[in-house]
Amino acid sequence: MNTSVAIQINGLTKYYGRFCALNQVSFDVREGDFFGFLGPNGAGKTTTISAVTGLANFQKGEVRIFGFDVVKDYRKARALIGLVPQEFNFDPFLTVEQILIYEAGYFGVPKREAKKRADELLGEFQLSAFRRFDFRKLSGGLKRRLLIARALMHRPRILILDEPTAGLDLELRYRLWDFFRRVNQEGVTVFLTTHYIEEAEKLCQRIGVIHEGNMIEVDDKEELIRRRSQNMIEIKLDRNLNDVPTELSEMGVRLGSGGSSVWVREEEKSLSKLLRAIHAHGIEVLGVHVKKTTLEDVFFKLTHNGNEPTHRF
Amino acid sequence: METSPLIGFRSLVEREIVRFTSVFLQTIFPPLISSLLYLSIFGYTIGARIPTIHGIPYLHFLIPGLVMMYVIEAAYQNTSSSLFISRWAGHIQEILVSPLSYLEMVLAILIGGLVRSLVIAAGVYLVSLSFTVTPITHPVIVLVMALFVSLIFSSVGVIVALAAEQFEHLTVCTTFVITPLIFFGGVFHSTTMLPEVLQKATAMNPVFYMVNGIRYGMLGVSDVPIGRCLLVVFCLFFVLFSFTVFLFKSGFKLRK
Repeated sequence: MNTSVAIQINGLTKYYGRFCALNQVSFDVREGDFFGFLGPNGAGKTTTISAVTGLANFQKGEVRIFGFDVVKDYRKARALIGLVPQEFNFDPFLTVEQILIYEAGYFGVPKREAKKRADELLGEFQLSAFRRFDFRKLSGGLKRRLLIARALMHRPRILILDEPTAGLDLELRYRLWDFFRRVNQEGVTVFLTTHYIEEAEKLCQRIGVIHEGNMIEVDDKEELIRRRSQNMIEIKLDRNLNDVPTELSEMGVRLGSGGSSVWVREEEKSLSKLLRAIHAHGIEVLGVHVKKTTLEDVFFKLTHNGNEPTHRF
Repeated sequence: METSPLIGFRSLVEREIVRFTSVFLQTIFPPLISSLLYLSIFGYTIGARIPTIHGIPYLHFLIPGLVMMYVIEAAYQNTSSSLFISRWAGHIQEILVSPLSYLEMVLAILIGGLVRSLVIAAGVYLVSLSFTVTPITHPVIVLVMALFVSLIFSSVGVIVALAAEQFEHLTVCTTFVITPLIFFGGVFHSTTMLPEVLQKATAMNPVFYMVNGIRYGMLGVSDVPIGRCLLVVFCLFFVLFSFTVFLFKSGFKLRK
């Protein structure tokens, strides 16, 4: 048993009827990682999470949680995971506090301890005033916090976050980011799926990208960006152009939106040579801006067959 | 901190009980009120004009049947609505991602149905005391019948809740299957009152053995030998309980 691997997925294959939702997906999440699992809608992110947590059957492959097989040793595997699902799925017959206490109970936490932990988490997430409330009376942000508190009640070693900040305002999103960082620093392995690429870039150390059921990249974030780095230089002009002059076009210069700027890849030509060529056409340069490659750029390239999406640049 | 697997099981049982007690006006009171009406109209008013059955006054004859009818209805309604609502609202996921075993999940849900049906059975019997004192000749038989019949229909409730796609499907089963089986199962009559063809048809109805089993336990009389009643109940319980556990293990309509 390799205990330094928190989540081990080998050849995971899942069909819905004839539709292949996951095709031989394999990757590891190391203990202590803050792992970002990215992919467009319908790529297979939630299906993968469902297979890991016991919410989906799968036809082929193997998933292990700290070495425990999620099918054969499902009880031991599930005890180590806390899941924050995408949708609000609270028990409508229970109050906010009861939701937390019963959740801990299902994981074997004695009631006295569960009450203590519920108090702590209700305080942490500023939900104490709502402890006797029916969850349906909570706002979206409060419900989202309750989902996270519920997943932490049994103190899992792995926290799975399925779009945890969807629909939240910026302030709450930043507060949750701080909280997730703190949980991760305390030793909890965090597995995050999100559509906010900025969120993954800010929080995650390692990134996996899934597309149409196929795992297309798994690497350290910095390494992933470095390998696919393609910094762009934006040159602001003193006038609007309709077309890029042929000489500049041959140097790899492309017209920016509105025609008041042009773009070129950093490695295409030396900047001084390029600026001289622009001057030679009687065009003044108002400014130069280097746009570093971001995780979002890498993500778009990976999920668009290596091309940037047409609406960009 | 030590965790115990039994705590998980107990928590789910408790949650199932909290669920139906939190809406007791919908779950506990209606059967008590309707049993009062049945006993007033059929048992007390009309029953006084019906000759004895197996030497027993009609009001006494009716009470065990009514108790069994409410045991069946309460067990089915509890598990079918609890599980279907948890599938519909999505909070079944709380259970499915927990380290509870599939056997524990099923047992806890069935115990919820069992507790509700036993509470209602006791309540109906208490209501009947306001009309007459019905003896309980064989208390162990009464307890065994109530227990196993409750578990049988709790299992039926789980199976229907898993198969159902809409709330409507739960009531379809009640209207077209369970209620006819109860009414033709001898709650209000003895099969000796029926023509031979209907007597043979009644022998195919499992509820007939359940009603007669509890009637034997309370009054010491039955249309069929008690051994046959117990055999039918035990066999049905074994088959339905095993099937329910199998459905949970396979993840039928529970896991994607």
